[in-house]
Amino acid sequence: MVVPGYQTLVVERRGPVGWLIFDRPDQGNAMNAQMLSELEVAWNELNEDPTVRAIVNTGNGRVFQTGDLDAMREHSRRTKRAELRFTAWHNHVWKPVIAAVNGVCAGGGLHFVADADVAIASSDATFVDPHVSLGQVTAYEAIGLLRKMPAETVMRMALVGRHERIATDRAYQLGMISQIVHPPDQLQDGALEVGLTDACRAGAQELVSMWGHPDQEEGPRAFAEKREPVWVVDQGVRSRA
Amino acid sequence: MEYSPFECLKVERHGPVGWLINNRPDKLNAMSALMRDEFAQAWIELDRDPAVRVIVHTGEGRAFQTGVDVTEIATDGIGMERYREQTEKFDLHFTSWHQGVWKPVITAVNGLCAGAGFHWVADADIVIAASDAQFFDPHVSVGQVVAMEAIGLIRKMPVEAVMRMALVGRYERIGVDRAYELGMISQIVDPPERLREEAQMLAEKIAKNSPAAMAATKRALWGALEMGLTDACRAGAQELVSMWGHPDQEEGPRAFTEKRLPVWKELDSTRG
Repeated sequence: MVVPGYQTLVVERRGPVGWLIFDRPDQGNAMNAQMLSELEVAWNELNEDPTVRAIVNTGNGRVFQTGDLDAMREHSRRTKRAELRFTAWHNHVWKPVIAAVNGVCAGGGLHFVADADVAIASSDATFVDPHVSLGQVTAYEAIGLLRKMPAETVMRMALVGRHERIATDRAYQLGMISQIVHPPDQLQDGALEVGLTDACRAGAQELVSMWGHPDQEEGPRAFAEKREPVWVVDQGVRSRA
Repeated sequence: MEYSPFECLKVERHGPVGWLINNRPDKLNAMSALMRDEFAQAWIELDRDPAVRVIVHTGEGRAFQTGVDVTEIATDGIGMERYREQTEKFDLHFTSWHQGVWKPVITAVNGLCAGAGFHWVADADIVIAASDAQFFDPHVSVGQVVAMEAIGLIRKMPVEAVMRMALVGRYERIGVDRAYELGMISQIVDPPERLREEAQMLAEKIAKNSPAAMAATKRALWGALEMGLTDACRAGAQELVSMWGHPDQEEGPRAFTEKRLPVWKELDSTRG
Protein backbone atom coordinates (compact mmCIF):
# COMPACT_ATOMS: atom_id res chain seq x y z
CA MET A 1 0.00 0.00 0.00
CA VAL A 2 1.36 3.39 -0.98
CA VAL A 3 1.58 5.63 2.05
CA PRO A 4 1.45 9.23 0.94
CA GLY A 5 3.68 11.74 2.67
CA TYR A 6 1.39 13.52 5.10
CA GLN A 7 2.31 17.10 5.98
CA THR A 8 -0.36 17.86 8.56
CA LEU A 9 -1.02 14.42 10.06
CA VAL A 10 0.91 11.50 11.48
CA VAL A 11 -0.61 8.19 10.39
CA GLU A 12 0.82 5.04 11.91
CA ARG A 13 0.10 1.51 13.14
CA ARG A 14 0.68 0.17 16.62
CA GLY A 15 -0.33 -3.47 16.57
CA PRO A 16 -3.95 -3.71 15.41
CA VAL A 17 -4.58 -0.04 16.11
CA GLY A 18 -4.30 2.63 13.46
CA TRP A 19 -3.41 6.09 14.73
CA LEU A 20 -4.52 9.28 13.05
CA ILE A 21 -2.78 12.17 14.75
CA PHE A 22 -3.28 15.86 14.03
CA ASP A 23 0.19 17.32 13.56
CA ARG A 24 0.10 21.09 13.36
CA PRO A 25 0.89 21.70 17.03
CA ASP A 26 2.11 25.24 16.43
CA GLN A 27 -1.27 26.16 14.91
CA GLY A 28 -3.36 24.45 17.60
CA ASN A 29 -3.78 21.56 15.12
CA ALA A 30 -6.28 23.75 13.26
CA MET A 31 -7.48 22.37 9.96
CA ASN A 32 -6.22 24.11 6.85
CA ALA A 33 -7.19 23.07 3.34
CA GLN A 34 -4.20 20.72 3.24
CA MET A 35 -5.31 18.94 6.40
CA LEU A 36 -8.88 18.62 5.15
CA SER A 37 -7.59 16.84 2.06
CA GLU A 38 -5.18 14.66 4.02
CA LEU A 39 -7.85 13.62 6.50
CA GLU A 40 -9.95 12.11 3.72
CA VAL A 41 -6.94 10.14 2.49
CA ALA A 42 -5.91 9.02 5.98
CA TRP A 43 -9.34 7.80 7.11
CA ASN A 44 -9.67 5.78 3.94
CA GLU A 45 -6.14 4.42 4.20
CA LEU A 46 -6.76 3.15 7.74
CA ASN A 47 -10.24 1.91 6.91
CA GLU A 48 -8.95 -0.15 4.02
CA ASP A 49 -5.88 -1.51 5.78
CA PRO A 50 -6.79 -5.06 6.89
CA THR A 51 -4.25 -4.99 9.71
CA VAL A 52 -6.07 -2.07 11.33
CA ARG A 53 -8.91 -3.18 13.60
CA ALA A 54 -9.60 0.08 15.41
CA ILE A 55 -8.57 3.68 14.89
CA VAL A 56 -7.47 6.21 17.47
CA ASN A 57 -7.66 9.90 16.61
CA THR A 58 -5.64 12.34 18.71
CA GLY A 59 -3.39 15.38 18.41
CA ASN A 60 0.27 16.20 18.86
CA GLY A 61 1.12 18.94 21.32
CA ARG A 62 -1.01 20.54 24.00
CA VAL A 63 -4.12 20.89 21.88
CA PHE A 64 -6.42 18.31 20.30
CA GLN A 65 -7.97 20.30 17.48
CA THR A 66 -9.20 23.88 17.15
CA GLY A 67 -11.25 23.85 14.01
CA ASP A 68 -11.31 25.28 10.61
CA LEU A 69 -11.80 29.04 10.46
CA ASP A 70 -10.86 29.42 6.82
CA ALA A 71 -10.54 25.87 5.59
CA MET A 72 -14.28 25.20 5.39
CA ARG A 73 -14.73 28.18 3.10
CA GLU A 74 -12.00 26.90 0.82
CA HIS A 75 -14.03 23.72 0.61
CA SER A 76 -17.18 25.79 0.29
CA ARG A 77 -19.04 23.65 -2.22
CA ARG A 78 -18.67 20.60 0.01
CA THR A 79 -19.74 22.57 3.05
CA LYS A 80 -22.85 23.87 1.32
CA ARG A 81 -23.84 20.45 0.12
CA ALA A 82 -23.03 18.75 3.41
CA GLU A 83 -20.46 16.65 1.58
CA LEU A 84 -17.68 16.97 4.09
CA ARG A 85 -14.94 14.36 4.09
CA PHE A 86 -12.77 15.00 7.13
CA THR A 87 -14.23 12.81 9.89
CA ALA A 88 -14.61 9.05 10.13
CA TRP A 89 -18.37 9.36 9.81
CA HIS A 90 -18.05 11.52 6.68
CA ASN A 91 -15.83 8.84 5.17
CA HIS A 92 -18.05 5.90 6.16
CA VAL A 93 -15.41 4.30 8.36
CA TRP A 94 -17.05 1.28 9.97
CA LYS A 95 -14.13 0.31 12.11
CA PRO A 96 -14.33 1.48 15.70
CA VAL A 97 -13.02 5.02 16.05
CA ILE A 98 -11.81 6.44 19.34
CA ALA A 99 -11.29 10.17 19.77
CA ALA A 100 -8.56 10.66 22.39
CA VAL A 101 -8.84 14.33 23.29
CA ASN A 102 -5.40 15.41 24.47
CA GLY A 103 -6.05 19.05 25.32
CA VAL A 104 -8.22 21.92 24.10
CA CYS A 105 -10.96 20.81 21.74
CA ALA A 106 -12.46 23.94 20.20
CA GLY A 107 -15.08 24.68 17.56
CA GLY A 108 -14.61 22.43 14.56
CA GLY A 109 -12.58 20.11 16.80
CA LEU A 110 -15.93 18.97 18.15
CA HIS A 111 -16.59 17.30 14.78
CA PHE A 112 -14.14 14.60 15.81
CA VAL A 113 -15.84 14.05 19.16
CA ALA A 114 -19.33 14.00 17.65
CA ASP A 115 -18.35 11.63 14.86
CA ALA A 116 -16.26 9.16 16.87
CA ASP A 117 -17.70 5.98 18.36
CA VAL A 118 -15.84 6.36 21.64
CA ALA A 119 -14.44 9.54 23.15
CA ILE A 120 -11.91 9.70 25.98
CA ALA A 121 -9.90 12.65 27.22
CA SER A 122 -6.84 13.54 29.23
CA SER A 123 -7.72 15.11 32.56
CA ASP A 124 -6.54 18.55 31.39
CA ALA A 125 -8.69 18.58 28.24
CA THR A 126 -11.35 21.27 27.78
CA PHE A 127 -14.20 21.75 25.35
CA VAL A 128 -15.33 25.08 23.95
CA ASP A 129 -17.25 26.18 20.88
CA PRO A 130 -16.25 29.75 19.94
CA HIS A 131 -18.07 29.91 16.58
CA VAL A 132 -20.65 32.56 17.50
CA SER A 133 -17.97 34.67 19.22
CA LEU A 134 -16.28 34.96 15.83
CA GLY A 135 -19.42 35.58 13.82
CA GLN A 136 -19.63 31.95 12.69
CA VAL A 137 -22.52 29.50 12.84
CA THR A 138 -22.26 26.17 14.66
CA ALA A 139 -23.97 23.38 12.77
CA TYR A 140 -22.72 19.86 12.02
CA GLU A 141 -20.66 19.23 15.12
CA ALA A 142 -23.32 20.45 17.53
CA ILE A 143 -26.06 18.65 15.60
CA GLY A 144 -24.10 15.43 15.98
CA LEU A 145 -23.56 16.01 19.69
CA LEU A 146 -27.27 16.77 20.24
CA ARG A 147 -28.01 13.16 19.33
CA LYS A 148 -25.51 11.78 21.77
CA MET A 149 -25.69 13.76 24.99
CA PRO A 150 -28.03 16.10 26.86
CA ALA A 151 -28.97 18.87 24.44
CA GLU A 152 -29.04 21.78 26.87
CA THR A 153 -25.29 21.62 27.33
CA VAL A 154 -24.70 21.52 23.58
CA MET A 155 -26.91 24.57 23.11
CA ARG A 156 -25.22 26.38 25.98
CA MET A 157 -21.78 25.71 24.47
CA ALA A 158 -23.03 26.85 21.06
CA LEU A 159 -24.51 30.12 22.35
CA VAL A 160 -22.01 31.09 25.07
CA GLY A 161 -19.17 30.67 22.61
CA ARG A 162 -15.65 31.37 23.76
CA HIS A 163 -16.75 32.75 27.12
CA GLU A 164 -17.01 29.35 28.83
CA ARG A 165 -15.28 25.98 28.70
CA ILE A 166 -16.41 22.53 29.74
CA ALA A 167 -13.91 20.48 31.73
CA THR A 168 -13.54 16.72 31.58
CA ASP A 169 -15.43 16.04 34.83
CA ARG A 170 -18.58 17.59 33.41
CA ALA A 171 -18.03 16.02 29.99
CA TYR A 172 -17.76 12.63 31.69
CA GLN A 173 -20.84 13.19 33.84
CA LEU A 174 -22.91 14.09 30.77
CA GLY A 175 -21.67 11.09 28.79
CA MET A 176 -19.85 13.22 26.22
CA ILE A 177 -16.73 11.18 27.04
CA SER A 178 -16.50 7.78 28.72
CA GLN A 179 -13.06 7.93 30.31
CA ILE A 180 -10.78 10.52 31.88
CA VAL A 181 -7.10 9.65 31.70
CA HIS A 182 -4.92 10.95 34.51
CA PRO A 183 -2.14 11.92 34.43
CA PRO A 184 -2.71 13.42 30.98
CA ASP A 185 0.47 12.01 29.47
CA GLN A 186 -0.96 8.49 29.77
CA LEU A 187 -3.74 9.26 27.30
CA GLN A 188 -2.24 7.33 24.43
CA ASP A 189 -1.90 4.21 26.62
CA GLY A 190 -5.49 4.58 27.78
CA ALA A 191 -6.67 4.94 24.20
CA LEU A 192 -4.87 1.77 23.21
CA GLU A 193 -6.55 -0.24 25.95
CA VAL A 194 -10.02 1.05 25.10
CA GLY A 195 -9.22 0.42 21.45
CA LEU A 196 -8.62 -3.29 21.87
CA THR A 197 -11.63 -3.89 24.07
CA ASP A 198 -13.89 -1.88 21.84
CA ALA A 199 -12.57 -3.57 18.72
CA CYS A 200 -13.66 -6.93 20.16
CA ARG A 201 -17.11 -5.65 21.09
CA ALA A 202 -17.74 -3.92 17.79
CA GLY A 203 -16.38 -6.89 15.89
CA ALA A 204 -18.95 -9.05 17.65
CA GLN A 205 -21.72 -6.65 16.64
CA GLU A 206 -20.68 -6.85 13.03
CA LEU A 207 -20.64 -10.63 13.12
CA VAL A 208 -24.17 -10.79 14.45
CA SER A 209 -25.33 -8.74 11.51
CA MET A 210 -23.52 -10.97 9.02
CA TRP A 211 -25.02 -14.43 9.36
CA GLY A 212 -23.36 -16.79 6.93
CA HIS A 213 -20.04 -14.98 7.00
CA PRO A 214 -17.14 -17.47 7.30
CA ASP A 215 -16.00 -15.77 10.50
CA GLN A 216 -19.16 -17.08 12.14
CA GLU A 217 -17.90 -20.62 11.65
CA GLU A 218 -14.31 -19.82 12.41
CA GLY A 219 -14.99 -18.11 15.71
CA PRO A 220 -16.66 -20.99 17.53
CA ARG A 221 -14.27 -23.48 15.91
CA ALA A 222 -11.21 -21.57 17.08
CA PHE A 223 -12.76 -21.24 20.51
CA ALA A 224 -13.39 -24.97 20.71
CA GLU A 225 -9.89 -25.69 19.45
CA LYS A 226 -8.42 -23.23 21.95
CA ARG A 227 -6.57 -21.25 19.32
CA GLU A 228 -6.68 -17.68 17.95
CA PRO A 229 -9.26 -17.33 15.19
CA VAL A 230 -8.17 -16.55 11.65
CA TRP A 231 -10.62 -14.00 10.37
CA VAL A 232 -11.56 -13.22 6.82
CA VAL A 233 -10.78 -9.56 6.53
CA ASP A 234 -12.74 -7.65 3.97
CA GLN A 235 -10.48 -5.28 2.16
CA GLY A 236 -11.80 -1.99 0.99
CA VAL A 237 -15.41 -2.73 1.82
CA ARG A 238 -16.84 0.66 2.59
CA SER A 239 -20.43 0.39 1.51
CA ARG A 240 -22.93 2.10 3.76
CA ALA A 241 -24.86 -0.32 5.91
CA MET B 1 -38.47 50.51 23.57
CA GLU B 2 -41.65 50.77 25.65
CA TYR B 3 -43.22 47.46 26.53
CA SER B 4 -46.97 46.95 26.87
CA PRO B 5 -48.38 47.07 30.38
CA PHE B 6 -48.70 43.48 31.62
CA GLU B 7 -50.76 42.29 34.57
CA CYS B 8 -49.34 38.80 35.06
CA LEU B 9 -45.78 39.37 33.85
CA LYS B 10 -42.98 41.83 34.33
CA VAL B 11 -41.07 42.68 31.19
CA GLU B 12 -37.87 44.64 31.63
CA ARG B 13 -34.53 45.29 30.04
CA HIS B 14 -31.21 45.48 31.86
CA GLY B 15 -28.44 46.38 29.44
CA PRO B 16 -28.56 43.93 26.53
CA VAL B 17 -30.69 41.47 28.52
CA GLY B 18 -34.47 41.31 28.29
CA TRP B 19 -36.24 39.89 31.33
CA LEU B 20 -39.58 38.10 31.29
CA ILE B 21 -40.72 37.49 34.86
CA ASN B 22 -43.74 35.43 35.84
CA ASN B 23 -45.61 37.70 38.25
CA ARG B 24 -48.44 35.91 40.00
CA PRO B 25 -46.45 34.90 43.08
CA ASP B 26 -49.53 34.38 45.30
CA LYS B 27 -50.78 31.82 42.73
CA LEU B 28 -47.31 30.20 42.45
CA ASN B 29 -47.19 31.78 38.99
CA ALA B 30 -49.89 29.48 37.67
CA MET B 31 -50.97 30.40 34.16
CA SER B 32 -54.39 32.03 33.84
CA ALA B 33 -56.00 32.69 30.48
CA LEU B 34 -54.80 36.29 30.71
CA MET B 35 -51.23 35.28 31.54
CA ARG B 36 -51.27 32.90 28.61
CA ASP B 37 -52.19 35.74 26.25
CA GLU B 38 -49.60 38.00 27.82
CA PHE B 39 -46.83 35.46 27.23
CA ALA B 40 -47.56 35.48 23.51
CA GLN B 41 -47.24 39.26 23.43
CA ALA B 42 -44.23 39.53 25.75
CA TRP B 43 -42.05 37.12 23.75
CA ILE B 44 -42.75 39.03 20.56
CA GLU B 45 -42.00 42.40 22.14
CA LEU B 46 -38.67 41.18 23.56
CA ASP B 47 -37.78 39.51 20.29
CA ARG B 48 -38.48 42.72 18.36
CA ASP B 49 -36.62 45.05 20.71
CA PRO B 50 -33.27 45.65 18.97
CA ALA B 51 -31.64 46.55 22.30
CA VAL B 52 -32.34 43.03 23.61
CA ARG B 53 -29.66 40.49 22.67
CA VAL B 54 -30.54 37.72 25.12
CA ILE B 55 -33.72 36.91 27.09
CA VAL B 56 -33.93 35.57 30.65
CA HIS B 57 -37.17 34.04 31.91
CA THR B 58 -37.76 33.60 35.65
CA GLY B 59 -40.48 33.99 38.28
CA GLU B 60 -41.38 36.09 41.32
CA GLY B 61 -41.80 34.39 44.66
CA ARG B 62 -41.11 30.84 45.74
CA ALA B 63 -42.22 29.16 42.49
CA PHE B 64 -41.00 29.49 38.95
CA GLN B 65 -44.20 28.20 37.42
CA THR B 66 -46.73 25.57 38.41
CA GLY B 67 -48.75 25.03 35.26
CA VAL B 68 -52.27 26.07 34.44
CA ASP B 69 -54.31 27.98 37.00
CA VAL B 70 -56.37 25.08 38.32
CA THR B 71 -58.63 27.34 40.39
CA GLU B 72 -59.62 29.29 37.29
CA ILE B 73 -60.19 26.05 35.36
CA ALA B 74 -62.40 24.72 38.16
CA THR B 75 -64.47 27.87 38.67
CA ASP B 76 -64.82 29.83 35.42
CA GLY B 77 -67.47 27.53 33.93
CA ILE B 78 -65.37 26.90 30.82
CA GLY B 79 -62.40 24.96 32.19
CA MET B 80 -59.92 23.36 29.83
CA GLU B 81 -62.47 23.55 26.99
CA ARG B 82 -61.28 27.12 26.52
CA TYR B 83 -58.02 25.66 25.18
CA ARG B 84 -59.42 22.69 23.23
CA GLU B 85 -59.10 24.05 19.71
CA GLN B 86 -55.59 25.49 20.02
CA THR B 87 -54.38 22.41 21.87
CA GLU B 88 -55.78 20.00 19.29
CA LYS B 89 -54.07 21.99 16.54
CA PHE B 90 -50.89 22.42 18.61
CA ASP B 91 -51.36 26.14 18.04
CA LEU B 92 -49.70 27.34 21.25
CA HIS B 93 -48.06 30.70 21.86
CA PHE B 94 -46.71 30.85 25.37
CA THR B 95 -43.05 29.78 25.03
CA SER B 96 -40.17 31.27 23.05
CA TRP B 97 -40.10 28.19 20.84
CA HIS B 98 -43.83 28.53 20.08
CA GLN B 99 -43.23 32.17 19.16
CA GLY B 100 -40.20 31.61 16.91
CA VAL B 101 -37.79 33.62 19.07
CA TRP B 102 -34.29 33.20 17.63
CA LYS B 103 -32.52 35.21 20.28
CA PRO B 104 -30.89 33.07 22.98
CA VAL B 105 -33.29 32.28 25.83
CA ILE B 106 -32.21 31.35 29.36
CA THR B 107 -34.73 29.93 31.79
CA ALA B 108 -33.71 30.67 35.39
CA VAL B 109 -35.76 28.38 37.62
CA ASN B 110 -36.24 30.19 40.91
CA GLY B 111 -38.11 27.57 42.94
CA LEU B 112 -40.86 25.12 42.24
CA CYS B 113 -41.28 24.07 38.63
CA ALA B 114 -44.29 21.82 38.25
CA GLY B 115 -46.37 20.40 35.42
CA ALA B 116 -46.72 22.82 32.54
CA GLY B 117 -43.84 24.79 34.05
CA PHE B 118 -41.67 22.30 32.16
CA HIS B 119 -42.71 23.95 28.89
CA TRP B 120 -40.18 26.69 29.62
CA VAL B 121 -37.49 24.22 30.64
CA ALA B 122 -38.01 22.17 27.48
CA ASP B 123 -38.27 25.18 25.16
CA ALA B 124 -35.36 27.30 26.45
CA ASP B 125 -31.86 27.10 25.03
CA ILE B 126 -30.19 27.21 28.43
CA VAL B 127 -31.61 26.34 31.84
CA ILE B 128 -30.11 27.25 35.19
CA ALA B 129 -31.69 26.90 38.63
CA ALA B 130 -31.48 28.19 42.18
CA SER B 131 -30.17 25.57 44.59
CA ASP B 132 -33.59 25.23 46.25
CA ALA B 133 -35.48 24.64 42.99
CA GLN B 134 -37.48 21.42 42.60
CA PHE B 135 -39.05 19.74 39.62
CA PHE B 136 -42.09 17.49 39.40
CA ASP B 137 -44.88 16.76 36.99
CA PRO B 138 -48.25 16.16 38.71
CA HIS B 139 -50.40 15.86 35.56
CA VAL B 140 -51.35 12.20 35.95
CA SER B 141 -52.02 12.65 39.66
CA VAL B 142 -54.85 15.05 38.81
CA GLY B 143 -56.22 13.07 35.87
CA GLN B 144 -54.37 15.04 33.19
CA VAL B 145 -52.12 13.86 30.39
CA VAL B 146 -48.60 15.21 30.04
CA ALA B 147 -47.54 15.62 26.43
CA MET B 148 -45.75 18.57 24.81
CA GLU B 149 -43.44 19.57 27.63
CA ALA B 150 -42.26 16.00 28.29
CA ILE B 151 -41.92 15.35 24.56
CA GLY B 152 -39.59 18.34 24.33
CA LEU B 153 -37.55 17.16 27.30
CA ILE B 154 -37.22 13.63 25.89
CA ARG B 155 -35.25 15.10 22.99
CA LYS B 156 -32.89 16.89 25.29
CA MET B 157 -32.05 14.66 28.25
CA PRO B 158 -32.08 11.04 29.37
CA VAL B 159 -35.56 9.69 28.67
CA GLU B 160 -36.04 7.45 31.67
CA ALA B 161 -36.03 10.40 34.07
CA VAL B 162 -38.69 12.17 32.01
CA MET B 163 -40.89 9.07 31.86
CA ARG B 164 -40.52 8.54 35.59
CA MET B 165 -41.54 12.12 36.37
CA ALA B 166 -44.48 11.85 33.97
CA LEU B 167 -45.76 8.63 35.55
CA VAL B 168 -44.92 9.12 39.22
CA GLY B 169 -46.69 12.47 39.15
CA ARG B 170 -46.87 14.43 42.35
CA TYR B 171 -45.39 11.71 44.54
CA GLU B 172 -41.74 12.50 43.79
CA ARG B 173 -39.63 15.55 43.14
CA ILE B 174 -36.29 15.96 41.41
CA GLY B 175 -33.78 18.23 43.10
CA VAL B 176 -31.24 20.42 41.36
CA ASP B 177 -28.33 18.03 41.91
CA ARG B 178 -30.02 15.29 39.91
CA ALA B 179 -31.28 17.79 37.30
CA TYR B 180 -27.68 18.95 36.87
CA GLU B 181 -26.31 15.41 36.66
CA LEU B 182 -28.84 14.58 33.96
CA GLY B 183 -28.02 17.67 31.93
CA MET B 184 -31.53 19.08 32.33
CA ILE B 185 -29.88 22.21 33.75
CA SER B 186 -26.31 23.38 33.33
CA GLN B 187 -25.81 25.49 36.44
CA ILE B 188 -26.91 25.50 40.07
CA VAL B 189 -26.87 28.89 41.77
CA ASP B 190 -26.17 28.89 45.48
CA PRO B 191 -27.24 30.76 47.50
CA PRO B 192 -30.57 30.93 45.64
CA GLU B 193 -30.81 34.70 46.08
CA ARG B 194 -27.99 35.10 43.57
CA LEU B 195 -29.99 33.50 40.74
CA ARG B 196 -30.87 36.70 38.89
CA GLU B 197 -27.38 38.10 39.26
CA GLU B 198 -25.86 34.91 37.82
CA ALA B 199 -28.43 34.80 35.03
CA GLN B 200 -27.65 38.40 34.10
CA MET B 201 -23.90 37.62 34.05
CA LEU B 202 -24.42 34.56 31.84
CA ALA B 203 -26.70 36.53 29.54
CA GLU B 204 -24.14 39.33 29.23
CA LYS B 205 -21.48 36.82 28.17
CA ILE B 206 -23.82 35.52 25.49
CA ALA B 207 -24.66 39.08 24.45
CA LYS B 208 -21.01 39.50 23.39
CA ASN B 209 -21.53 37.02 20.55
CA SER B 210 -22.75 37.73 17.03
CA PRO B 211 -26.57 38.03 17.11
CA ALA B 212 -26.88 36.87 13.49
CA ALA B 213 -24.62 33.86 14.03
CA MET B 214 -26.50 32.88 17.18
CA ALA B 215 -29.87 33.12 15.41
CA ALA B 216 -28.63 30.86 12.59
CA THR B 217 -27.10 28.46 15.13
CA LYS B 218 -30.40 28.25 16.99
CA ARG B 219 -32.27 27.51 13.78
CA ALA B 220 -29.75 24.77 12.93
CA LEU B 221 -29.88 23.13 16.36
CA TRP B 222 -33.61 23.36 17.04
CA GLY B 223 -34.21 22.22 13.47
CA ALA B 224 -31.97 19.23 14.17
CA LEU B 225 -34.29 18.10 16.96
CA GLU B 226 -36.95 17.57 14.28
CA MET B 227 -34.88 15.53 11.82
CA GLY B 228 -32.62 12.58 11.14
CA LEU B 229 -28.88 13.18 11.45
CA THR B 230 -27.97 13.50 7.78
CA ASP B 231 -30.98 15.67 6.96
CA ALA B 232 -30.23 17.84 9.97
CA CYS B 233 -26.64 18.32 8.79
CA ARG B 234 -27.85 19.26 5.30
CA ALA B 235 -30.27 21.82 6.71
CA GLY B 236 -27.62 23.00 9.17
CA ALA B 237 -25.22 23.52 6.27
CA GLN B 238 -27.64 26.04 4.78
CA GLU B 239 -27.72 27.97 8.07
CA LEU B 240 -23.92 27.82 8.28
CA VAL B 241 -23.37 29.10 4.77
CA SER B 242 -26.05 31.78 5.25
CA MET B 243 -23.54 33.76 7.33
CA TRP B 244 -20.87 33.81 4.62
CA GLY B 245 -20.51 37.35 3.38
CA HIS B 246 -22.20 38.73 6.51
CA PRO B 247 -20.12 41.57 8.04
CA ASP B 248 -19.92 39.72 11.40
CA GLN B 249 -17.80 37.05 9.74
CA GLU B 250 -15.10 39.61 9.01
CA GLU B 251 -15.54 41.52 12.25
CA GLY B 252 -15.23 38.49 14.57
CA PRO B 253 -11.73 37.37 13.57
CA ARG B 254 -10.58 41.01 13.14
CA ALA B 255 -11.65 41.95 16.68
CA PHE B 256 -9.98 38.79 17.98
CA THR B 257 -6.63 39.63 16.40
CA GLU B 258 -6.93 43.28 17.48
CA LYS B 259 -7.78 42.13 21.03
CA ARG B 260 -10.98 44.16 21.28
CA LEU B 261 -14.69 43.44 21.60
CA PRO B 262 -16.38 42.89 18.25
CA VAL B 263 -18.95 45.37 17.00
CA TRP B 264 -21.73 43.22 15.59
CA LYS B 265 -24.38 44.12 13.09
CA GLU B 266 -27.80 44.53 14.68
CA LEU B 267 -30.12 41.62 14.15
CA ASP B 268 -32.80 42.46 11.62
CA SER B 269 -35.72 43.21 13.89
CA THR B 270 -38.24 42.04 11.31
CA ARG B 271 -38.60 38.55 12.65
CA GLY B 272 -37.83 35.70 10.29
